[in-house]
Amino acid sequence: MSTSPASPVGGEAREPASLPSEERRFSAQAVAELEEIASHYPERKAACLPALWIAQREYGGYLTPSAIQEVADHLGLSFAEVEGVATFYTMYNLRPRGRHHLEVCTCLTCAVMGAYDLVHKLEHELGIEIGQTTPDGEFTLSEAECLDFCGAATVMQVGDKYFTNLTPDNVLQVIDQLRNSEDYTPARLADAIVKLHIPGSVPPEG
Amino acid sequence: MLDHSLTLTEASLNPETPKQVHIKINGIELEVPEGENLIESAKRVGIDIPYFCYHPRLSKGDAANCRMCLVDVYMPRKNPDGSVVMAKMPKPQTACTLPASEGMAIETESESVVEDRRGILEFLLINHPLDCPICDRGGECPLQNNTLFYGPPISRYIEEKRHFPKAYPLSDHVVFDRERCIHCARCTRFTEDISGDHQLGFFKRGADMEVSTYAHTKYTSKFSGNVIELCPVGALLSRTYRFKARPWDLHTQRSVCSRCSNGCNIKIDYRLNELQRVNARLNEAVNEEWTCDKGKFGHDYVSSATRLTKPRLKRDGQWTEVEWTEAYDVLIEKLKAAGANAGGIGGERCTNEDNFLFQKLFREVLKSHNLDHRLGRYQGPASKPLFERFGYHSMGNSIADLEKMQAILVLGADLADEQPILFLRVRKAWRFHSAHVISAVTHVEEETTRVGDFAAVEMVYKPGTEMTLLRGLLNVMLAENLLPANSGADANKLKASVGDWTPDKAATETGVPADQIRAAARLLAHTPMAILAGKTITEHPQYLEIAAALGDLVEATGNRGNLNIPVLECNTQGAMDMGLLPDSGPGYQSPTGTGMNTQQMLEAAAGGTLQVLWLVGAKLLESYYDPALARRTLENCPFVVVNELTMTQTAEMADLVLPVASVAEKDGTYTNCERRIQRIYKAFDLAPDIKPDWLVFSEVAAQLGGGTPYFSARDVLRDIAAAVPMYGQVNLAALGESGVRWRYPHETPPATPIAPGAGE
Amino acid sequence: MPILNLLFANRDVPGIQNIDVYEAHGGYAGLRKAVKMDRQAVVDEIKTSGLRGRGGAGFPTWIKWNGLPKNYDAPHYVICNADEGEPGTFKDRELMLALPHLVVEGMILAGYATYSKAGYIYIRGEFVEPAWQIRKAIDQAYKKGYLGKNILGVQGFDYDLYVHMGAGSYECGEESALMSSLMGERGNPRLKAPHAPLPTVAGVWKAPTLINNVETYAAASWILAHSGAEYAQYGTEKSKGTKIMSVSGHVARPGNYEIEMGTPLLDLLNAAGGVTGGKLKAVIPGGSSVQIMPAEKLAAINLDYESCAANGTLLGSGGFMVFNDRTDIVLLMKRTAEFYAHESCGKCTPCREGTRWLFKILDRITSGDGQPGDIDLLLNICRNIDGRSYCGLGDAAAWPIVGAIKAFREEFEYWIAQKRSPVGDNPLPPSPVVVNPLLALTPA
Ligand SMILES: Cc1cc2nc3c(=O)[nH]c(=O)nc-3n(C[C@H](O)[C@H](O)[C@H](O)COP(=O)(O)O)c2cc1C
Ligand code: SF4
Ligand code: FES
Repeated sequence: MSTSPASPVGGEAREPASLPSEERRFSAQAVAELEEIASHYPERKAACLPALWIAQREYGGYLTPSAIQEVADHLGLSFAEVEGVATFYTMYNLRPRGRHHLEVCTCLTCAVMGAYDLVHKLEHELGIEIGQTTPDGEFTLSEAECLDFCGAATVMQVGDKYFTNLTPDNVLQVIDQLRNSEDYTPARLADAIVKLHIPGSVPPEG
Repeated sequence: MLDHSLTLTEASLNPETPKQVHIKINGIELEVPEGENLIESAKRVGIDIPYFCYHPRLSKGDAANCRMCLVDVYMPRKNPDGSVVMAKMPKPQTACTLPASEGMAIETESESVVEDRRGILEFLLINHPLDCPICDRGGECPLQNNTLFYGPPISRYIEEKRHFPKAYPLSDHVVFDRERCIHCARCTRFTEDISGDHQLGFFKRGADMEVSTYAHTKYTSKFSGNVIELCPVGALLSRTYRFKARPWDLHTQRSVCSRCSNGCNIKIDYRLNELQRVNARLNEAVNEEWTCDKGKFGHDYVSSATRLTKPRLKRDGQWTEVEWTEAYDVLIEKLKAAGANAGGIGGERCTNEDNFLFQKLFREVLKSHNLDHRLGRYQGPASKPLFERFGYHSMGNSIADLEKMQAILVLGADLADEQPILFLRVRKAWRFHSAHVISAVTHVEEETTRVGDFAAVEMVYKPGTEMTLLRGLLNVMLAENLLPANSGADANKLKASVGDWTPDKAATETGVPADQIRAAARLLAHTPMAILAGKTITEHPQYLEIAAALGDLVEATGNRGNLNIPVLECNTQGAMDMGLLPDSGPGYQSPTGTGMNTQQMLEAAAGGTLQVLWLVGAKLLESYYDPALARRTLENCPFVVVNELTMTQTAEMADLVLPVASVAEKDGTYTNCERRIQRIYKAFDLAPDIKPDWLVFSEVAAQLGGGTPYFSARDVLRDIAAAVPMYGQVNLAALGESGVRWRYPHETPPATPIAPGAGE
Repeated sequence: MPILNLLFANRDVPGIQNIDVYEAHGGYAGLRKAVKMDRQAVVDEIKTSGLRGRGGAGFPTWIKWNGLPKNYDAPHYVICNADEGEPGTFKDRELMLALPHLVVEGMILAGYATYSKAGYIYIRGEFVEPAWQIRKAIDQAYKKGYLGKNILGVQGFDYDLYVHMGAGSYECGEESALMSSLMGERGNPRLKAPHAPLPTVAGVWKAPTLINNVETYAAASWILAHSGAEYAQYGTEKSKGTKIMSVSGHVARPGNYEIEMGTPLLDLLNAAGGVTGGKLKAVIPGGSSVQIMPAEKLAAINLDYESCAANGTLLGSGGFMVFNDRTDIVLLMKRTAEFYAHESCGKCTPCREGTRWLFKILDRITSGDGQPGDIDLLLNICRNIDGRSYCGLGDAAAWPIVGAIKAFREEFEYWIAQKRSPVGDNPLPPSPVVVNPLLALTPA
């Protein structure tokens, strides 16, 4: 994990970390979902990504080491295997995020359409830099690679929602709207993605 | 979940095939097996294609990632008119994964290939610390060598390099320098393909990708040392060898590991009479190119400061160092007095030469048959458990045979710990030849054994219920008549033996679910199927009974001769062959008389009736299954002499301790669990007054007026060949690099050792 | 007007996401027709249509469909590549959002034609909204008996469709990496022919596998609903039918436009209302992976695979990005390089090390620290990546930079010499201060 001993900073050798505490947070329903999803594939291992989504939801929006262990144990994989997967994909959070994770697309079209002005505006408004979280834990600000809705540049993903055609001027309404909203949280995103795997599920109202 | 082994088992990188194809490498025409990868093909004609990630024993899975082996490839293409032209593939291809096919031609030295290599090496080096002067790998480093031959003279990279902590302690034995890693995936693939613990993996991605363990926890594999030799750079290094020597300062001597019965071939690297490190030595029939950590890091005792360098005599409770002459005088006097009332226990760390002369001294000079090497519970007739029925004493199969099995039952063993190399073969059989492995262990072993990780069925039974479990299995086979008709086993006898042990009844007693018993039985009814029984079985009160039941199982399934109850210690097999047994002489010939086994000797000694007890590397206090008796013995026996390397607890309680040579300081032969006789070579002299055991016995015998003294281990081997039928053909020339397996006289073809390398 | 709405014919019909409306507009007629045809006939229909893969490579679709064993002996799998990640492309998103049944029907057809019992649609994790439409469409299709057992009464035609969501990785759009990801592994590419069997022989779970792009399946639906011949009327000799182009950037009416293959590039630009905010400077016709084309070259280009290739670029996935003369090409390329450096899976040396190096050099140049030799260095690094990497991502990272230097070399030279942007007030400001010096985007 990026916070653990040998994260990329030069310096002194340390002793290996001891095995993180083992907690179990998968609810009975979560396990049921996992089994349903696992039955979609000829091999249990294939449920690794969905299982990590479940974990991200059950562990409150990000993956702790024990979340990794729990997934590994459910699927009969090694811890290292699962951590390898979890650290590969950018949508798995290995550190806590704010209640709303603002991911501004700064890729080509958005960039030329002023995405960076937007980012600077947000940095200024929220008093944080890219990669940081506001002290009140409300917002985390990130750059995102192409969200592939370039026609509506500039695009910002918040949880399971895309906000489109943003400009430094109209972005602040979005911020205010989010401030007092329970929606579009990392956990909601994870939940939506889990549900999408499961036949018969419907999107949360709206 | 339908099938859990779809992507878990692997096709091997160099498939065996009878079909030959014609290819061209740099214009040289040659014929190679179809599908062979071109790096191997090129080697055949002495053309070097540089590589890092390719390794013939690792799966293709993550291969072809270093891109060092790029070559230009031309494929034959038919024109509409039928004429054939050679079409160049638009992109250079990785020789390490490209299967040889009919008519294909490759260029390994074209201008663009040369430029590609330079480019790849530049990429590999931009983030490499270039600290060769202080890197253990310097001088034997593939990255260094390839850069020398194929690399750019300078780097155009002026940006900042990746930084990681230096010398990060990965395991008890391995330190990791992440900055040097070139992401070849050899180490990660090793833990996936070979050791199977899957503890090393790639985390993050892109240029941030790093090799690591889960959450930076300790790498705890029993085979961690191998990644040091696999790593093509100085990223994974030995904690003990670190900064100790430069490769070019080291002398290397061929040897065989002394830590268990598998007999891994090793190289001893030493400098100034001091062992610096142990590396694996290739032997396809035994350890391939692997070692376990016990073997790779467990030989530091050889050069430990506590090694005995002079004989020690206990005078009124005080140890004093004495010269050999004085030590001998005392010993000879005692032995003369004791005569047949002397007993000898030893053997397991000793060479065949040591053991042979030890028993020769006792049988021929002292006229005593009080000889044994066994410290475990079973000390009955050596022929009982297996020989009388199958004609062999421990393993029916060779180690390599295990690969050919369709099914393997591992019973009552922590295999990775007891028989590391057998474990690797069993896993290889599963991973690369899709064999079904069935593990049956107690919950104690289940904690540690790794066989369960890949076993098709993992049965965890209540200790002591082995017999029931076996009856349950046989019951299913009979009920579902899975057994071959021609097996020659007596059906009625079998029926009787299994009684009414239906799976369900067996389940309640053993704690193994009935469907598991059924599933296991169905898989075990394959041929060829082999059984590996471990320490729990050999130490079992019902050992003989269980062995018999296992015998029924292999016979009934038409797998006669595939029952293996391998010995545990380094040269236990050799000790038996040399006749270190009360009831059988060299080559299992019945001796002129019989003597006491270990248990009886200890009791006699404890009672004071045995006057001299000679312990040759037999650590009674440390390893005898009944320590209390061992202690009483050592306290009460009138005179105990010990051949040892250091002052063990046992030695402390003796009266005379003789300093003898370790594996690194003597010539000789070991015989491993599959009956392979292998040579060890003397690397250095630790101290002038240390003698190999065989020399001690030879000199004592001479002084007792028996036999002519021997001058070298070679002389002894000559006499062994004369005295032990199955060693008849054995001589140093015949043993060669990789040793030979001996066969029993009744085996066909009879007592000729198999030529080195031959299929075994 | 170059617009030719075949797939998009019913895009704007209200409620078309609903199966009843879709059926009312001829939906699933193609499937009903197909299941009465012999399976080979379905493949032949695709062959007649001349349809080529819309995921970027433009590989003839029928060859894939024809490549799987023609029996139910062992499991086969159908995969829809809905991991749309190519910067500038958003056609798959709209197809799933507006016409989910068109995609689902196409996958069912493929299942029928290839003797498959299961199909997976791999949707990138960010596409939650489009994914919900697919989810609903699949569930509705089950209710109507278009999925499940003995579909439409055809004995033994059992077929299930599953949604599989990605988790944030462009590389997982590469078909072999997608399979790794689908099998629950890191999104690393896998060996390809001739090093390993084709996916149609041993793909996901070592089973015969068909993998196509969303648009490809949508087109297949249209073709079976109408006919291969009809589809083949449109387009050029080698590039048949239509292509959905995602138009974005400095243009009046950005959005998805379905055009006939071979349409002159400038016609599309005009249809989209032309360039805004300045004079036209350049267009990237096929997504970030292809070479940028300067304004003066555009007139010669038609939007089909051959014409693009002939003019030194590619039709790719149809990510059509328009740039006016206030765009700084060097900064644009820096951002492109950053994208590939960030998305490289790290498996192979040239891509892992090379993409990051390219980014660092361009970053250096655009922070006013360019060195004389830098342009040749960039070109040489690109040379060492292009064709040497394990999968196409390496090539895709190299091409745009080579293309940009070819077309706008003087701008690179200007940056290096003058240490500032050649275009007056800099429309693409330098990226924000980043927390982790090695990774411009936020670390996990
Ligand atoms: C780096 C890379 C990224 C790709 N991303 C996508 C993608 O997002 N969507 C897609 O359909 N194809 C993508 N492809 C192309 C696929 O590898 C594959 O060619 C395509 O899915 C095949 O479907 P088709 O024949 O219908 O085009 C990508 C290829 C590469 C090399
Ligand atoms: S540590 Fe060594 S073996 Fe492992 S990936 Fe890095 S270079 Fe290869
Ligand atoms: S050896 Fe072929 S790519 Fe590494």
